[in-house]
Amino acid sequence: MTVKNILITGSSRGLGKEIAEHFLNNGCNVIGCSRSVGDIQHANYRHFQVDVASSDQVATLFFELRKEFKHLDAVINNAGVASMNAFALTPAKTFEKIFDVNVQGTFLFCQKSLGLLKKSPHPRIINMSTVAVPLQLEGESIYAASKSAVETLTKIIAKEYGYFGITCNAIGPSPVDTNLIRGVPKDKIAGMVKQQAIRRMATPADVINLVEFYLRPESSMISGQVIYLGGAS
Amino acid sequence: MKKADVQKIIFDAIEMANNLREDNEQIPIAEATALYGNDGYLDSMGLVSFLTDIEESLQDSDIMVSLSDERAMSQTQSPFRDVQTLTSYIDTLINESK
Repeated sequence: MTVKNILITGSSRGLGKEIAEHFLNNGCNVIGCSRSVGDIQHANYRHFQVDVASSDQVATLFFELRKEFKHLDAVINNAGVASMNAFALTPAKTFEKIFDVNVQGTFLFCQKSLGLLKKSPHPRIINMSTVAVPLQLEGESIYAASKSAVETLTKIIAKEYGYFGITCNAIGPSPVDTNLIRGVPKDKIAGMVKQQAIRRMATPADVINLVEFYLRPESSMISGQVIYLGGAS
Repeated sequence: MKKADVQKIIFDAIEMANNLREDNEQIPIAEATALYGNDGYLDSMGLVSFLTDIEESLQDSDIMVSLSDERAMSQTQSPFRDVQTLTSYIDTLINESK
């Protein structure tokens, strides 16, 4: 892989950290961000402490980034929060938090990264959805609704940013063993996996494989797509 | 940054846009040039690209302003309609950000 500048949100743990480490090991420059301090130690890693839902903080991040990096090749909107709740018992605060991080965060990074992305020869945006959207999982109404919004953003951004040669796609991981689902009961996870064509939990490597596919220069005609792992649809 | 410097940045952005346009689609580099809306030279994505270039040039001068803020979108008379209105709008934003 030629050296790329890749921005990954939510890179301090879980899938985001795995993706960041993978691309660092492949010679890329990785810019990570999260609300917490990043603990990845690598010469080509730069961490920013940012609340992805804050328009001021995200604007400042890109202002700083432009001083160090003249372009970005990819933005991976990985930061996300989930909450298992029966719809009728979901507090309004939970709704706000999930939509702030998952939808507004994705919106802000897609919008603010345009200037740096359009200077790349193969610019890419990758957003994270979930199989909870096609599976319409009970107990995940707000999380799934927020990711439905992300999917619609992905498809419309793909059309608008196509003008600049930027592709925008999404990945819908089936359950991956990360912090995000640590609070989900085991039988719930097993029930989800049972609904997939490939009946196993996904690994970070499965997600990274798809990220690499979207990043390939040869994938320039692939945009506005959502690929679900495990064959859930 | 003086208003004349802002106008220079806008003219530079027009030049950048012209580099990607056909000879018969060149945007005149002048204060009265209509940019967006009736008789404007830019379509909506052309405007997005143009404003992004201007924001980045301002950032090179250590000025952080968002040209697509709520006020720009809610004004009945778009500040993006010609070079003169855009210059005044950016000048106002810069003064407010001080």
